[in-house]
Parts: sequence; structure tokens; C-alpha cells
Amino acid sequence: MTRIGRRLRGWTNGVLDLPQDLLQDMPRITLIGNKELHIENHRGVLHFSSEQLKLALAKGSLEITGEGLMIRNILGQELAIEGIIGEIRYKESEERS
Amino acid sequence: MKEPPLSSLRGFVTLQVTGPQVEGFINAVAEAGIVIWDVKPAGNGASLRLLLDDFYNLRPLLKRTGCRMHVTGRHGLPFKMLRLWKRKFFAAGVVLFGVSLLLLCSMVWSIKVEGNDRIASEDIIAAARKEGLYTYQWIWRLKDPDKLTTELTNHLPGVSWVGMERTGTSVVIQVVEAAQPEQKPLLSNRHLISRTDAVVTNIYAEQGRPVVARNSRVKKGDILISGILGDEEFSKAVVAKGEVKGLVWHEYNIAVPLETKGSSYTGERKDRSYLVLGKWAIQLWGYGKSTFEASRTLTEMDPLTWRSIELPVGWMTEKEMEVRETSATRTAEEAKAEGLERAKADIFARYGSESAIKSQKILHEKKENGKVYMKVLFEVEESIAEELPIVNNQGE
Repeated sequence: MTRIGRRLRGWTNGVLDLPQDLLQDMPRITLIGNKELHIENHRGVLHFSSEQLKLALAKGSLEITGEGLMIRNILGQELAIEGIIGEIRYKESEERS
Repeated sequence: MKEPPLSSLRGFVTLQVTGPQVEGFINAVAEAGIVIWDVKPAGNGASLRLLLDDFYNLRPLLKRTGCRMHVTGRHGLPFKMLRLWKRKFFAAGVVLFGVSLLLLCSMVWSIKVEGNDRIASEDIIAAARKEGLYTYQWIWRLKDPDKLTTELTNHLPGVSWVGMERTGTSVVIQVVEAAQPEQKPLLSNRHLISRTDAVVTNIYAEQGRPVVARNSRVKKGDILISGILGDEEFSKAVVAKGEVKGLVWHEYNIAVPLETKGSSYTGERKDRSYLVLGKWAIQLWGYGKSTFEASRTLTEMDPLTWRSIELPVGWMTEKEMEVRETSATRTAEEAKAEGLERAKADIFARYGSESAIKSQKILHEKKENGKVYMKVLFEVEESIAEELPIVNNQGE
């Protein structure tokens, strides 16, 4: 992604007030209480156990800790997690590409 | 979305995936567009579910990620069908039972005919058989009831309407028979002759030739209306019909007693009730003697019955009813009147109710031994015709 392109996007964002996840490759995370977690636009599972779940994102990763975690379903870039969710940690890293 | 739609119909399996890179396998599966759900960490791998259709696409992914899997659960219709196939005779029995029940329900099992008096039920059933309605016939092969009944009406003689009603497996054919004209009894050729000596007062010939005229005297056996028409050369015998009335004399000897005896119930009554056990009767009610001078006793047995079997246990009631003897004496005039009444009733009973008593004459009368004796002559106008068959060779 070129610099001009990125700036152009930032500008259109400001002007058109569009949701960020559409324009920039950001995940949309929906949390329902501490029971369910829906993540759209992820980039795959990095680690998977009943206590901890690590997901790859376009930039960085998402760490979810809790008890009895399970992936309720997974399809393409959508993912639903069920269980008792204790912590969600968002780790941002510099651009990988 | 928890699981894909109709997953239980399409069949799905539970897999246990083990290997160094379970996450990689999950990612690969998700990328390949295979739907998996209920991914749970288990043991040193993960258990997951996926549709049976996708199962065979897993092999290259497993090879690529170096994972191993084994199937821990099979669910859904395809697996159930497979299990059923192992017991195919049982399954076939279930299906066969259903099919035979359905077939037996769609059969005519009984045909009843209602409303026929003259036409035999067998004839109607035979006619219905020709129209395709008979026992053990399939119901779906029956003709339309409207059509069938009109056909039946056309083919059965002496029927004005035929109806058909089917309830379940039984068919009721309702028949209304056509009204037929009354059949006249066949009569042989005959004369009408006189039953007794009489004087003809009225003669009316409906068929035949009247031989005697009014006011003529006839003897017993004289022909009144002849059944032979024509002259000696051309003659024809017919059934003589008609009415001939004549005056006839009847002599009656009447004896009427002056005193009449009778008995009647006074209405006083005493009941006794018994319980009957085999041969013994135990009196329960109505002890004590009655005070009646004369009485009649009615005994009623009422045994216990069970389906028309009489049990030896029962109930018996005795009704003792008081009777009063009555006697009445009447005068000679009253006795005479009753005697005449009785004689007239006898005449009407013997010679028909259309007879008319023209005159009566008491010839002799005496009173003796408490009775009135009379000799009466009645002159009665009555029908005197009697039939006499014409013997064939008589006509020649």
C-alpha cells in the first residue's frame, strides 16, 4: 500500500464517515457478555487450547484467555468463540508486508 | 450460525485431530471453505465436527499439515440408514407391514344390500359384480358411485332407485323397488248359482249373462248368472261376476236364561312375597290369613336370569284377590230382547254384514225352568250367489 493511497484512505474516512473495518484491514470484534466472542476479518488461528486462544490479525494478533474456550464455528475469515472469556489482549505490531 | 442447515439430514462426523500443528490444520480447513463447528481442545489435539460431504476433502489438508485424525462419532441420517441396512429384513418387515395395512384398508370387505323385498340380495350382488363391485375388490378400482348406481338401476329389473354408500371397507347398496301393479288372481270360468232357496230382489251382472229376473223364485243350485255366452253354435265360457241378492228365511230356536251369574273382583287384595332358593320358598312378606270369603290366587314366578339362563334363585309373589259372586234376575221381556239380539248378530256373522233383516216374526214363545224359549222366523235380504266352475266338456 503506497503512502498516497493510505493518506487518501484516511482522508475519505474523515470525509465520508465510513466504518474503519471496511476500509482498513481491521477486525470487527463483537463480545456478548463474557460468553461469546465473534471476530470477523481475522487471519487464522495461531494457538488453540481451552485456556488460551491466539488469533492472527492483519496487523498484530489477538490473545484471548479464559476457561473452557471452544471455537463454535469457523468459516473463512469469520470465527465465533464460546466459553468464559476472561481477557482480551490486542497486540499491535508494525506492518508485516 | 451454529451448524450448517440440515446437517443431521446430510450427516456429519466428529473427528479427533492430533498432530503438531492443529492450528494450522484449522486455518487450512477454514481457507479451503470447509465448514467446521464445535472445535474443542481435547487431549493433545482438538475435536471438531464437519459435514460428511466435506470429509473426503480433508485428506490432502491433513497430509499438508502433518496431522492425524480419527473418527469418534458419526451422526445423521446417512449413518442411520447404514445401520438400518444391516437389519434389512427388519426394515423390510416394517415397510411390508405398513404397505399391507394400507392395501388391506383399500379393499372392499363386505357388501350389504338394504331395502329389497322381492329382489333377492344375491341377484343384486351379482349385478354389482358385473359392474365391478364385489368383495376383495380394490376401492380405487370402483367406478364413480353415481355412474355405478345408474348402471345398476338400468340392469336390475323392478328397481326404481339404487344408492351406494361406502364407509371404510364396507359398502351398503340401498335399493328402492319399483311399485308394481297388484296382480289379479287367476280365475277359472264359472257360473254363479244360488246358495239357497230365495226370492231374487236384486241382480247385477258384471260379467256373464243374468238368467233370473227380479222377484223370481230360485231353488238351491239354480244358475243365477251364466258363464256361457252366445247361442248353441257359437259359445264362449267366461268368468261370471256379479252380485245377486235375495230374500231368505231363517228359523231360529232361542233359549235365554232369566238368571245370570257372574263374578267380579272387589279390588281388595293381599300380597305374599317369597324368596325362592331351588325347591324351597321362604316367605318374607304378607304373613297372616286373609279375611276374604271367596278369592282367587295369582302366582308369579320371577327367577333371576343371566343371558336367558334361569338361575335357581328368584322371587315369587302371590296375589290373593277377593272375588264377589253376583247374580242378576231379569224379566222375560229383557231376556227376549237379548235372545233376538243374539240371533241377529249370528245372522250378520254368517251371511255377511251387508245383509239386511227385513222382518222378524216370533212363531212360538214359552217360559219354562227359569228360561225363555222362542222360535223366530227372520226374513233376511242377503247375497245368495255361489261359484260353480264350468267343466270343459260342458261347453261343447
